[in-house]
Amino acid sequence: MTRQPPSTDPVQPGSLLRLRGAMDRMFTGLASGSVLLIALALAVVLAPMLWRGAGAVVFKGTVEFRRMQLEQFHRGDPSTLSDELAEISRARQPVYDMLDRFSRGIATEQLEEEARQLYREFGKQLDRRDTPAQQRTELRSLAKQLRDDFTEAAQSSDKAAAQEALERVLKHADEPRLKGTVAEGFFRMARDYGRIVETVDLGRRVEYAKALGEVRDAIQALFGPRPGEPRPPLVMDQYGATRWDVAEKQLARLLTAEKWVEVKPGQPLQRVDVPREREFAGTDLVPLFPLVRERARDMLRPQTTIYWQYFIDDSLSGHYFGGVGPEILGTLLVTVLAIAFALPLGVVSAAYLVECAGDGRTVRLIRTCINTLAGVPSIVFGLFGLAFFVIFLLPKFGLPQGSSVLAGGLTLGLLVLPIIIRASEEAIRSVPATYKEAALALGASRLRCFVTVMLPAALPGILTGVILSVSRAAGETAPILFTAAVAMGTTSWPPWEAITKPAVTLAYSSYNLAVGDRLAALVPHNQYGMVMTLILLVLILNIAAILVRSHMAKRLRGQ
Amino acid sequence: MLEPGDSPAEMTQTPYAPDKTVRARVPTRFSATGPQPLSGEPIIRAHDFSLFYGEKAGVRKITMDIHPQSVTAIIGPSGCGKSTFLRSINRMNDLIPHVRAEGRLEVAGIDVYDRRVNLPNLRQQVGMVFQKPNPFPKSIYDNVAYGRRFQGFRHRGELDEAVERCLRAAALWDEVKDNLRKSALALSGGQQQRLCIARALATQPKVLLMDEPCSALDPIATGRIEELIADLKNVYTIVIVTHNMQQAARVSERTAFFCLGELIEYDRTSVIFTKPAKKQTEDYVTGRFG
Repeated sequence: MTRQPPSTDPVQPGSLLRLRGAMDRMFTGLASGSVLLIALALAVVLAPMLWRGAGAVVFKGTVEFRRMQLEQFHRGDPSTLSDELAEISRARQPVYDMLDRFSRGIATEQLEEEARQLYREFGKQLDRRDTPAQQRTELRSLAKQLRDDFTEAAQSSDKAAAQEALERVLKHADEPRLKGTVAEGFFRMARDYGRIVETVDLGRRVEYAKALGEVRDAIQALFGPRPGEPRPPLVMDQYGATRWDVAEKQLARLLTAEKWVEVKPGQPLQRVDVPREREFAGTDLVPLFPLVRERARDMLRPQTTIYWQYFIDDSLSGHYFGGVGPEILGTLLVTVLAIAFALPLGVVSAAYLVECAGDGRTVRLIRTCINTLAGVPSIVFGLFGLAFFVIFLLPKFGLPQGSSVLAGGLTLGLLVLPIIIRASEEAIRSVPATYKEAALALGASRLRCFVTVMLPAALPGILTGVILSVSRAAGETAPILFTAAVAMGTTSWPPWEAITKPAVTLAYSSYNLAVGDRLAALVPHNQYGMVMTLILLVLILNIAAILVRSHMAKRLRGQ
Repeated sequence: MLEPGDSPAEMTQTPYAPDKTVRARVPTRFSATGPQPLSGEPIIRAHDFSLFYGEKAGVRKITMDIHPQSVTAIIGPSGCGKSTFLRSINRMNDLIPHVRAEGRLEVAGIDVYDRRVNLPNLRQQVGMVFQKPNPFPKSIYDNVAYGRRFQGFRHRGELDEAVERCLRAAALWDEVKDNLRKSALALSGGQQQRLCIARALATQPKVLLMDEPCSALDPIATGRIEELIADLKNVYTIVIVTHNMQQAARVSERTAFFCLGELIEYDRTSVIFTKPAKKQTEDYVTGRFG
């Protein structure tokens, strides 16, 4: 057997060539596969976040939202709103009526107070009418009798005893001497209460009172404070559910009670959902729940709302309502300040490292330091910023000791300095040596050569460093934790005033909302909204920088 | 094509070194291995000039005079030190670390390797054109105006006038006058090289060093550059390093032959190419070696 000579025919490639082709294809496949994987991972992480964040801007806003917008931000048409408010208050009125009626039945103290009030009123009426003394004494004692009987009925938790006491009251209903006096109120109250006694299990009054409290809270959360009630001091209590998704949550709270029951002794409690209808079974309140369930839309009137002002509005009640305007401003200020501080310093350092420094021991040490600096955890920068800028340096310039945008910007500047130095170094190093030669041969000094030729040619590369830095600086929380950010408050305006004051930023507020705030559970859309805003902000800044960079690069290439 | 304002005589009024660094003319004349001057005083004088890269010698004991308003070609095989010598004249070799010079090298009577020499001024007097066209990534206008700007001419009209003059001198004006704002990188290779020449002319140098200016160009572009050299030599002193012996023969009045870092022969071009004194030179120019 002779060995087959390797194929030399160009049309029929030999096995080696075929293998190479296969490997080429494999490599291409692997590379595009990994790119696809990264894109997919990004989509999986980012898309839901952006989708849910979009809920902060586009959602179904209820009439409460429109009322809040009008009262807090002076946005919207007052006359349309007042029409709408009139309609919804008509829709809501039966709910309030039912509540009132029921609560009278169980609010013993209130009934007693009313009876006492009535008795006092009656006494005053007698005085005014100049009733003869003897008759007055008689009537007073009669009224006293009525009051005590009614009180007894109200206090009794036994149905029969209560009804018997009410009988005693009503037996005087035809007393001619009481006709036309306020004392007739006793009979009205007795009749009303009689109806309640029929339906309400008086022995469970304490239970009802607790459940009623929950129902009241849920209704307040849905519809806001009742018209005519004094306005609560906190803005978040002044309005009901402004968004339909929040309203649905509150509706669920209204319609089902959450009970924690011990299934087995020693085991953790288990949650059981009990429909309110069953909780209030047999009482007058039962029709309230289907009514609210079926007519909730009429009571809240959700409408698709595009709340683009989310990006400029102040937040109200710690992000319960409102937007993230101050956060965006604060983030921009801190980031811009960081870049403004780090960019010149970084470029000068890079210029020194490339142009002036040789390859000595010290320079190597400096390089190592810069690389190490890039890997230092950000919280270390935060603590350094606190110790150096906030406590030591800035007070020396007469600034108040405390967080400020300036301190935060400087700290973030230090954080991104290594990134900028490394990017600038690479960029300056990759400027063709012929440019430098040409400039020097024309008699330019080294400084002039650097400023007029090297720097413009290196700018696209330096901008790459800036892009990375912006993303880093805008997203960092730890360095501004102690140096610039506050949880509650706002960012001052104009910028030169804001610079010496603390600010709120997107990253820090998202963090804060996520860890410390019990409100966060109620406003998840706001959390996602903030994260989305941060992503969008970084994206916009990056796109701007990329456009500038490509424009510069184009000009450098001569197009 | 060249205006009278460009005459070297006027340019010497701006000395490139501070007064006290200008040395008195050395009384002893360097004896140059070469022919007698064509006209006037030599503008570049090398006397026992050596340049070392660390321990290795780039050029060794070069002694030659170069005369104003003439074209001097330097030829020789690769690595013979012709570029090194050329770059010594405006001290572009300083960019390479551990460079050391010995002997004397004068330009217009000033010792180039004097520590007190003001390098930017020297390089404005001794312009350079490189092997590969290397315009800045700026507009054509800015390229030409570059050297002029930092000489203190910032006035718009003056700059416009200088740009036009230099572009005309480099025979590029007619091709680019309508789009001076266009990027220089959009020009063709030959145009770019002429632009580089125009840029070098803008600082009003006395000497123009050309380091194989045509090696990256096609024959037509090369022809245009050679015409340009022939024009420019009326005003400037041109030293050109070339690999192309036909080119040396075409454009230069004098030719120096370098080999292994030493100056072998320096004479009129016609002499070098027809009856050279040294065997080595003859071997090289006839193509037997190199």
